[in-house]
Amino acid sequence: MTKRTMILATMLLLSAILASGLGLAQGATLNVAWPYQVPPTGHFNTFASGGITLGQYQDLHEPPLAVLMWATGEYQGMVAEEFGWDADGNYGIKMVEGNSWSDGSAMTAADLMATFNIFRLRGDAVWANMSAIEQVDDYSVKFVMDAPSSLAERIILTTNLRPASVFGDIADRAAMMSPDDEGWDALLQELTEFRPESPVSGGPYTILPDTISEANLMMELNPGGFAGDFQNFDMVRMWNGETEVVTPLVANAELHYITHGIPPTTEEDFANRGIDIVRSGMNNGPGLYVNHAVYPLNLVEVRQAIAHAIDRIQNGVVSLGDSGVAVEYMTGMSDGLSEAWLSDETLDSLNFYDYDLMKAEELLTGVGFSRNDDGVWVDDNGDPLSFELTFPQEFADWSAAAENATAQLNDFGFDISARGVQFQQHPQDIYSSNFEMAIRNWGLGDPIPGRSYLQAYNRYNGQGQMAGEGAGAGMNFDNNVDFSGGMVNVFDLSNQSSQGVDKGAQAALVTQLALSYNEVLPAIPLWERYTNNALNRSFVSVPDSSDSIFANFGGGADNWMTTLILTGVTAPADM
Amino acid sequence: MTDFQLLDAGQDALEQALSPKRKLVPAPVENFYKNYYVRVFAQAILTIWAVLTVTFFLVRQMPGNPIDVLIEQILTQEGISYQEAYDRVAASFNFDPDATLFDQYLDYIRDLLHLDLGTSITSPGTRIIDEIARFLPWTLFAVGSGFLISFVLGVILGMTMAYYRDSALDHAMSLVSSFFTGVPNYIWGLLIIIGPGISWNWFDVGAARGTYDPGLTPGLNAAFIGSAIEHALLPIITYVLATLGSWMLSMKSSTTSVLNDDYVNVAEARGLKDRRIITAYVGRNAMLPLFAQLSISIGFVLGSGVVIEEIFVYWGFGHYLFQAITVRDYTSVQGAVLILSSTFVFSNLFADLTYGLLDPRVRVTGEK
Amino acid sequence: MNSKTPSPPHPLLTLLRLPFTLLFAVFSFINRLRANRAGFIGFLGLLAYFVMTFIMPHFIAFDGEVNLDEIAGPVGSRIQLAVHTDNAELRTFEDLAGKTVGVVDQTGGPSLIAPYADSINIEKYRWTSRRAGPGIRAALIDLANKEIDAMLIFSKSVEQIRADAEDAELQALFAERIVVSNPELGPPHLLGTDTQGRDIATHIVHGGRILILTAVIGGVISTIIALVVGSLSAMIGGAFDAAMTALSNLILAVPRLILLVVLAGLIRFENTLFLGFMIGLLGWPPLMRAIRAQVLSLRERDFVEAARSLGLSTYHIMFREMLPNMISYVMINFIFAITFAMYEQIALLVLGLAPIDDYTWGVMLYFGRSRGTLYNPDGASMALSPVLAIAFFQVCLVLFARALEEIFDPRLRAAV
Repeated sequence: MTKRTMILATMLLLSAILASGLGLAQGATLNVAWPYQVPPTGHFNTFASGGITLGQYQDLHEPPLAVLMWATGEYQGMVAEEFGWDADGNYGIKMVEGNSWSDGSAMTAADLMATFNIFRLRGDAVWANMSAIEQVDDYSVKFVMDAPSSLAERIILTTNLRPASVFGDIADRAAMMSPDDEGWDALLQELTEFRPESPVSGGPYTILPDTISEANLMMELNPGGFAGDFQNFDMVRMWNGETEVVTPLVANAELHYITHGIPPTTEEDFANRGIDIVRSGMNNGPGLYVNHAVYPLNLVEVRQAIAHAIDRIQNGVVSLGDSGVAVEYMTGMSDGLSEAWLSDETLDSLNFYDYDLMKAEELLTGVGFSRNDDGVWVDDNGDPLSFELTFPQEFADWSAAAENATAQLNDFGFDISARGVQFQQHPQDIYSSNFEMAIRNWGLGDPIPGRSYLQAYNRYNGQGQMAGEGAGAGMNFDNNVDFSGGMVNVFDLSNQSSQGVDKGAQAALVTQLALSYNEVLPAIPLWERYTNNALNRSFVSVPDSSDSIFANFGGGADNWMTTLILTGVTAPADM
Repeated sequence: MTDFQLLDAGQDALEQALSPKRKLVPAPVENFYKNYYVRVFAQAILTIWAVLTVTFFLVRQMPGNPIDVLIEQILTQEGISYQEAYDRVAASFNFDPDATLFDQYLDYIRDLLHLDLGTSITSPGTRIIDEIARFLPWTLFAVGSGFLISFVLGVILGMTMAYYRDSALDHAMSLVSSFFTGVPNYIWGLLIIIGPGISWNWFDVGAARGTYDPGLTPGLNAAFIGSAIEHALLPIITYVLATLGSWMLSMKSSTTSVLNDDYVNVAEARGLKDRRIITAYVGRNAMLPLFAQLSISIGFVLGSGVVIEEIFVYWGFGHYLFQAITVRDYTSVQGAVLILSSTFVFSNLFADLTYGLLDPRVRVTGEK
Repeated sequence: MNSKTPSPPHPLLTLLRLPFTLLFAVFSFINRLRANRAGFIGFLGLLAYFVMTFIMPHFIAFDGEVNLDEIAGPVGSRIQLAVHTDNAELRTFEDLAGKTVGVVDQTGGPSLIAPYADSINIEKYRWTSRRAGPGIRAALIDLANKEIDAMLIFSKSVEQIRADAEDAELQALFAERIVVSNPELGPPHLLGTDTQGRDIATHIVHGGRILILTAVIGGVISTIIALVVGSLSAMIGGAFDAAMTALSNLILAVPRLILLVVLAGLIRFENTLFLGFMIGLLGWPPLMRAIRAQVLSLRERDFVEAARSLGLSTYHIMFREMLPNMISYVMINFIFAITFAMYEQIALLVLGLAPIDDYTWGVMLYFGRSRGTLYNPDGASMALSPVLAIAFFQVCLVLFARALEEIFDPRLRAAV
């Protein structure tokens, strides 16, 4: 007993010492978080899996060419000073001069060439429409394209630049080969197993390899790098870990900004501690997918009835609090994209699928369904509407959405049993049509609207080529959709709508996509996931929440925080 | 490990240590020893091989595959399209899903015979032996010290209980030990985080995580060692709480049984001092069965930390195994299982072999 | 009753006596147990668990009502009656007759007031997505302006809205004109509410049965396999013994985590109880080794030797001579096997490796943890309640098993 008391006492004492030690951080340090693997599992080859890229904070050590300002829809150049399509339909980039990498080499077009040659070696999608990359001068590069497209432009501009001094050798060898050559695969393997000894940064901060622990790593100011000369912080401390790990750190004010999706209960606790919650739309969220090979889920009326029978507001609130924002327009893309791309008349003509049990009842009785003695719906064959709804149980918000949707549908008279599946297994089940109902994501965190439809029409519908190992028929939806606007192939439409650079023509295609989706409802979007980034404004100064920068994505490319750092706006709060 | 498994494993080891020797009594002594050692060692190797083979095929039956799992993680974190995620991931993997399983197996065994554990799938080119060297020591340290503390405390308290058996102290301690045993280790972990950690704010949950403070250089310096001990405290306390009860009880019953033996009464009759009786006679004999139990439970030590390490974010071997399973890194799982099963098999072997040396009665039987 | 010849007893009589014999046996058992205080506590605890998880669910309905303004509410939170300061005398539903009372949909208010719809004018407010959103705020503003007489509102929301009201004027207005006249109007949430604003207490009542059944199934299966394989191994010996010992070693040495992940992926569970089967199928080796050792040692005892020299069959020796000597040992280990199966299944759930369908304590713990309730003192009940329920169940089992051990044979363990 005394020993345990002693252990406890020692523990308390040591914790106290530790806590006081942490308070003595010197200079201005920005405390942010992104999960990474510690060496040797983690490493500095940002092209290979396991590389310490730090997600959106990759921008801080491998700066992007440009950032899309979502509020205006215009790209703001970063490393790319001038960029755009030329008369021949090729894309040109002129880089900012005078920046250097942390190993001393100058940042030039050679880096851009190396980066894209390695993309070619990896077989990245950007090369699908691109036939060559040509260096024009020391700071300019021309991308020779088959056809101009908004998609290609976006992929090029959101690229994080890598140093030629590190990857140039492999890139040059790749440039001289073609994928059919012998040795191509060996070179690819050489790339994935390549381990740069130390990280080389071209952005404002450099990773200090000696500081990498499982708790955090330090990034030091890189004055010669892009945006390195006007930073307000001397250091960035990157905390490691997933939500559960970083939560107490935010509560203790050791960590000042996280992009992790935090549960509403935690949010409430943060709010009580005066920590700001910043929300911006993610253009995606969970939806209720059905297997169209299962009768009667293939009936439009049944899916519409389901949409009417689920209160999406409630579903969003119980799943993700204020960041679970019910989808209103039900067009298959986010409400933000709908408003940006669809005309007012189109928006008015949409079916909003309001929560309306009477309407749902009407729809079901309209196709000859009735309720049995227990109040459960039976279809016209006399079979009860009894289904299994699966969900990836590791995703806290989706599992809550599944639980709630099940309860609501059962209240309405369905007989649904919800079942959690490991997240590794769940997509495989969908790909191989091994499901009846499932919670998967609709939409995409991408400003190009047509791409939102790729989840429903391509990834989860076996007609795409990409669906991985267990590829099958997916949700068994016929991509040739016959709706009041005519007969269209929605998969082709969604691909075409991201080609070309004529926004008007793209909008026309998107309108057809939206109207057909709204009518046919291949899958039922529940709510849009907004970020709930925790931001401690007592330590970090960024513009007020009303600033247009917050229209930018709160995770992934175009992230507002990294954009504000790269533009030198983010500062210590007391400055 | 739960209480009863440890106890029974201990009994069993005793029994096993006894039985084969009896059968082999007629053989000449040197020959017998030689044969016996060779045989048990061969059996141990065979068991490890069987475990590795089973694991090799089992891990590839786990739902999902490494590529899709990583794609899924990137998709949820960054919201890019499936195509982009696929491009980024598929090419950066050193993993050929088309190679036949049997060929892969032969390669694996061949490499293993050259003492090569291979490279990780999800971090291509990283040697698994390096990863194990990175994670294993922490678990050995944390769970190992928890294990020792728990054993020593358990022996002392168990003997105390036996000496004061049927007193109020004994009853109270029985109740406490049952409580310690009954509450699963991960629940102890959660309770420690919720209670002292969050509700009462006795320690800083965030600062206690990890294996040592950032910025320290691993090595023999006071700051690092202090920090390592401090970070290991919560896992150690949890481990001690969860296993103490069973050691207490084993030691109590073992001591009780020795106390009732004739030679203790004889010793008392001879007028030996109490302390001498306790240490030389009772303590030593009562601990014999516990040693077998101890070496066997060492076999389970490494595997018992998974949930605790996840809860306290103490990145040791358990975390490594769990992470490898989560991302379906087949080769890393195999590497981890090799360590786990070898520890298990050899600690069992050790228990078998040393029991005879420790217990004079068994030795006499063997040489008769 | 009508029996005159004491032997042989009439079968009917035996049957009639059976309940009494059983009752007597149970009574004397309990009597012996009472001497062992810890064991008796464990026994009573198990009885309480039985009542709570198997009987109470028939009387207490699962409360699945979602209350959007009461997410992760603290222990004891409930609906209160907020009134205008002028109406402070309104305290009960009877007082409210003829008055206009505001409720917000998707909270606990509408269902609570529904039975009084005839006597009370109900003014419904629509919930909007914000927690302290226009629904509740609009009602409060109406109340402050005396457009309604009273309002049903959750205890947590009252404090929150007062604290959060973004403009100071509104905050002052609420503070000035609104009071809580009856803080105990609605039934309390004994254990608070979960992340969906549902009552936790009824979930605890309903969430134990399947978990306990699964553990018992796991315990039964592993005990049976261990008993059969263990005694056969010891009796038959030879190749069978070697094979079974090797198999048990193999099962012990392959990390269970991997085995269960694979099996969980391959087998599509129709229900959670299958998890019990799996745990049982993988859980027998330790007990099998112990039973094998027991049988080996019993074999050498005098009474078995005697039976053998009498030429009695192996069957007879096993079931008539040896089994009765092991039955208490097996019973005790059966209980430990249950604790082990419980330990195992919760560990799987905590790690997120077991499929989730029923809303058990394990699932509550899993969701409670993944939805962050541990980090919010108000909401911690969602994870803490199942943790305590599981922990006390395990403790009761261990106490009970140890008491049995002492009653049947105090030196059993040490005697081997």
